[in-house]
Amino acid sequence: MAAENSTKATSAEAGSSSLGKKKPLYEASTQYKNWRYSPERLEDVRTQLNAAAVAVIRNTFEADEPGSSSGVAFLDAGEEQLLVKLYISKIPQLCGHFRFPEEVEATAISYLKRFYLKNTVMDWHPKNVMLTALFLATKTTNNPISLEAYTSNIPKTSPSDVLDLEFLVAQSLGFEFAVWHAHRALWGIWLDLQSLPDLSADLRPQDVYEIALKHVRASRFTDAELIYTPSQIALACLSIASPLICQRWADSKSAVSPSSQPLSEVLEDTLGAIKFMVMQAGQPPDVESVREVDRRLKLCKNPEKVVGSKAYLARIAEDEHRAEQKRNKKANDVRRALAEGDPFGSELTDKEKAERLAELDEDDD
Amino acid sequence: MDAVERANTERQKRWVKDQKVGEGTYAVVYRGREFATGRKVAIKKIKVGQFKDGLDMSAIREVKYLRELHHQNVIELLDVFSSKTNLNLVLEFLDSDLEKIIKDRTLVFLPADIKAWMAMTFRGLEFCHRNFVLHRDLKPNNLLIASDGQLKIADFGLARDFTDPGHKMTCQVITRWYRPPELLFGSRYYSTAVDIWSVGCIFAELMLRTPYLPGETDMDQLKTIFRALGTPTEEDWPGHTKLPDYVPVGQFPRTPLRDLFTAATTDTLNLLSKCLIYEPRKRIGAKEALHHAYFFALPYPSHPSKLPKLSNNTSSRPLDEVDGNVDMNASGPGVKASAPNRLKRKLSSPGDELGGRPLARRLDFTQKRS
Amino acid sequence: MANRTNVGGWLQGKTVRKGGITSTNAHSTRSNTPQVQSTSTTVFGGGVKDSSGRTSEYFSMDDQCPVCKSDRYLNPKLRLLVSSCYHKMCESCIDRLFTLGPAPCPICQKVLRKLAFTPQTFEDLTVEKEVAVRRRIAKEFNKRRDDFQDLRAYNDYLEEVEDLTFNLINDIDVPQTEARIAAHRAENAALIERNVQRDEQYAHALKEQEEIERQEREQRASEARREEEMEREEREKGRREIIDRLETSSKNAAKVIAKSRAEANKRSSARTAADTVLKSNAQLLRSRAAQSTVVPDVPHVPLQDDWYAYEDIYTLMSSYEDPYSEAVRKDREGIMRAGGYRVEEAWERALRSAVMGLDLLPLVGQGISDVDKDPSSQPDVVMAAA
Repeated sequence: MAAENSTKATSAEAGSSSLGKKKPLYEASTQYKNWRYSPERLEDVRTQLNAAAVAVIRNTFEADEPGSSSGVAFLDAGEEQLLVKLYISKIPQLCGHFRFPEEVEATAISYLKRFYLKNTVMDWHPKNVMLTALFLATKTTNNPISLEAYTSNIPKTSPSDVLDLEFLVAQSLGFEFAVWHAHRALWGIWLDLQSLPDLSADLRPQDVYEIALKHVRASRFTDAELIYTPSQIALACLSIASPLICQRWADSKSAVSPSSQPLSEVLEDTLGAIKFMVMQAGQPPDVESVREVDRRLKLCKNPEKVVGSKAYLARIAEDEHRAEQKRNKKANDVRRALAEGDPFGSELTDKEKAERLAELDEDDD
Repeated sequence: MDAVERANTERQKRWVKDQKVGEGTYAVVYRGREFATGRKVAIKKIKVGQFKDGLDMSAIREVKYLRELHHQNVIELLDVFSSKTNLNLVLEFLDSDLEKIIKDRTLVFLPADIKAWMAMTFRGLEFCHRNFVLHRDLKPNNLLIASDGQLKIADFGLARDFTDPGHKMTCQVITRWYRPPELLFGSRYYSTAVDIWSVGCIFAELMLRTPYLPGETDMDQLKTIFRALGTPTEEDWPGHTKLPDYVPVGQFPRTPLRDLFTAATTDTLNLLSKCLIYEPRKRIGAKEALHHAYFFALPYPSHPSKLPKLSNNTSSRPLDEVDGNVDMNASGPGVKASAPNRLKRKLSSPGDELGGRPLARRLDFTQKRS
Repeated sequence: MANRTNVGGWLQGKTVRKGGITSTNAHSTRSNTPQVQSTSTTVFGGGVKDSSGRTSEYFSMDDQCPVCKSDRYLNPKLRLLVSSCYHKMCESCIDRLFTLGPAPCPICQKVLRKLAFTPQTFEDLTVEKEVAVRRRIAKEFNKRRDDFQDLRAYNDYLEEVEDLTFNLINDIDVPQTEARIAAHRAENAALIERNVQRDEQYAHALKEQEEIERQEREQRASEARREEEMEREEREKGRREIIDRLETSSKNAAKVIAKSRAEANKRSSARTAADTVLKSNAQLLRSRAAQSTVVPDVPHVPLQDDWYAYEDIYTLMSSYEDPYSEAVRKDREGIMRAGGYRVEEAWERALRSAVMGLDLLPLVGQGISDVDKDPSSQPDVVMAAA
């Protein structure tokens, strides 16, 4: 009897594991793989990034003029965030001006947030990064516009402001351009509500959708998309607009949740956290407080990253010098190798070869 | 050094470029390998910073979609890194492509081979469509063949997401011979059916061993299609005369496919005809096609390892160069990629190769290494 | 069939000949015979097939039906068929005796059905019987050398098969032999089935190969025709060229002609080279066919990936109330439909977005997402830690 039971258990297990082998498609996305954080981790990343930047800039100041960094009030991670948030709020305005689709707006905002998980405001000022992120988003979402047309419609902006940063932004994004958005999930939920047999049209008035969509837009000011999935954010926003409709829909999906618990219960904490986040932080920052931060930023910017500054020029010269050396070395190597009849020189180890070739690459553009 | 730069250097170190295997206007392709494992790869270096509109659209599309799509029948993008202002795509190394195989007159295709290639093409395409991606440039030389015989869809330089209702798309996509009539008539609202038409043309080409519908100009393309499949009536294809670029190109009778494909089975022709239905909404879908009787009938599809391979070893994997900066001078948010030059260039002189197809977009890597 | 003809005859007011009223008459008339024969060809599909799948039927001027004594002299269309007890009789007799159901064989009394008659292939009926028995046995005893552990076991098996065959041919211990065959069938059902399929595939491959070879031949023939045509054109062109050059050139005539000839030769040798390539195709084909039994081809499996697309969580309805796509669906110009735009595809994408990752609980603490542990995304760990 016992033996029989145990074989049953194994076969059931085998069955479920073969089913479990199917991986949800969302888990193939770079959004899931590389841009999903816990709240703690998110804070940690920002704090460390900020600390590292402060250390570097302090060193640069000191190298330039000893003692000069002591009076500088560097930005902390929270202040950096505040500034980024201000520039997030500029994106919908610009999109309205250009009449870009919502997809462009949402994508550009995601790019801007992701950029500042790899970079600091003190190195790269969010104004141009924002313009670049938006321009890049028009292209990645297949709504391209010429750079000329783009910059000429934005005051005090030249094509080079965007072009200079584009590669850096793309690189910071890890060239991961695809983003899944909550507004499409919300549309999907709204459509799917119509398959609920007992939820007639008058029980789901259109203005509930409009309110929910407003909250989805508000959520773009928050970190929600870095922590939660688009469908969860959409559902939370729907829940703010109408808790009843939200629950009805969530319960209709309960059958697929692995536990027998209704989905609305499984997601209770998650939805609660998102709602709190949206209500709490889902608006542009107070301009006055940001103005103060921006003023301080002018004093603590990384001089190496300010185009035209002494430190910037020094760095460029240094880079040039290094590149020149490499070119010479390469030319010599090739000459020598040719003389020996073997293009790589047989005495080189694989590792050396690899390094050599990596160098070759850097120079031959 | 910045965190971003540091991470990039880490990535860069994983890969070794061995040998340049081709160079085009916008990209250089190297054969390379993974430093730690020695696994062969292809590294496509895209020169950035020479376009007035910044990063090239086709490079962006290619990276965007390949980063997300992971499937046996879609080329795998292993890594992306930058060197100075070059964008480097590390792709799995693939030996040849279907165009070369079709052209290699020393190879003989069994019906089972064609079935295997079609199944793999449809699987790859079904996966793209399942991920809401239109490929928009399917043709034999974008179907790459791995050494184990697996077929992989490559070149996502013209791919895009499905559109939301009411958003226009460009109709200047898909290489002419594989372009469906709705695009030739200038439709700006289309669907996955455009890719299916291309697959139908490839299917026919595999049987004929020569392009099925080789039009010389866009206008001639329509004529070629109608000559082969009959001029559509309003009943065949409701509303097609209202499409933006509709022009009558003459009345041609419908000849049965059987007349041209004398050796094909009924199932084969049934599937082929469903890929080439004029009304796009009635055209078969990729998933439906994979459940078509053709695939289940004997003979079974050939095991990939047995599929015909190029007979000579002169083919180091030719990757497409990414070229053709999509014209972005157009105003407004609507996609307006007015006739990417390469499409024109590509098909401007189909006859100048020895009976072959125009090679414009390819890099020629077939020259023997000494 | 015969009856219907008769009815037709009555209706048409024709005199029905005596012998024609019923086909049960032993001496059926010639006018009846064709109908009976056509029935028979549909009924009797057997016979021993040759390697190409065709049945060649044995036929002799001396044929005579042992039952009704009708012969080829009286009935040129006489067709003799063989019963499962290996007795011959003509189609008319078969029709007469067995149309109403199973009846005893007029020669040996074994009960037969109409379907049990097959065309005769060999003159000697014992050969006919042997071939049929062997064919039947081969269908079930289809094991191959690699189904046995050693050669000895295989030999024993072959001997057993030979034994059974011999018994059946010579009617020795028939019930016991049949029992042994039934037992073998029961024991080896799966293996037999597999081997049957393998054989079928092999036969299919052969057929395919034949077909391709036929196409090749056709292609070669048409190629040859085209070449001939080209050659003729070229000769014509060459002649014209020579004349043109002679007219315009100041060089001497002999030189001009020699140069033109040399060019023509160059062109023709290029064609010969192309021809060699084509000819080797048949060889390649054969090697492909031989290879096809090494790695087995497997039945088609439509989708082979392991990605789950949430299909079971949502159902796409045929239509939605959707202000967002209303204009598109109205499609006043009809261009959405003609262009093939499918709002359903956009809807499905939205529905999928709605359920995708719904139950994916957020990460907690310092734990990085599990994918980050994957070595392929290590750079991100580096980046994140920086």
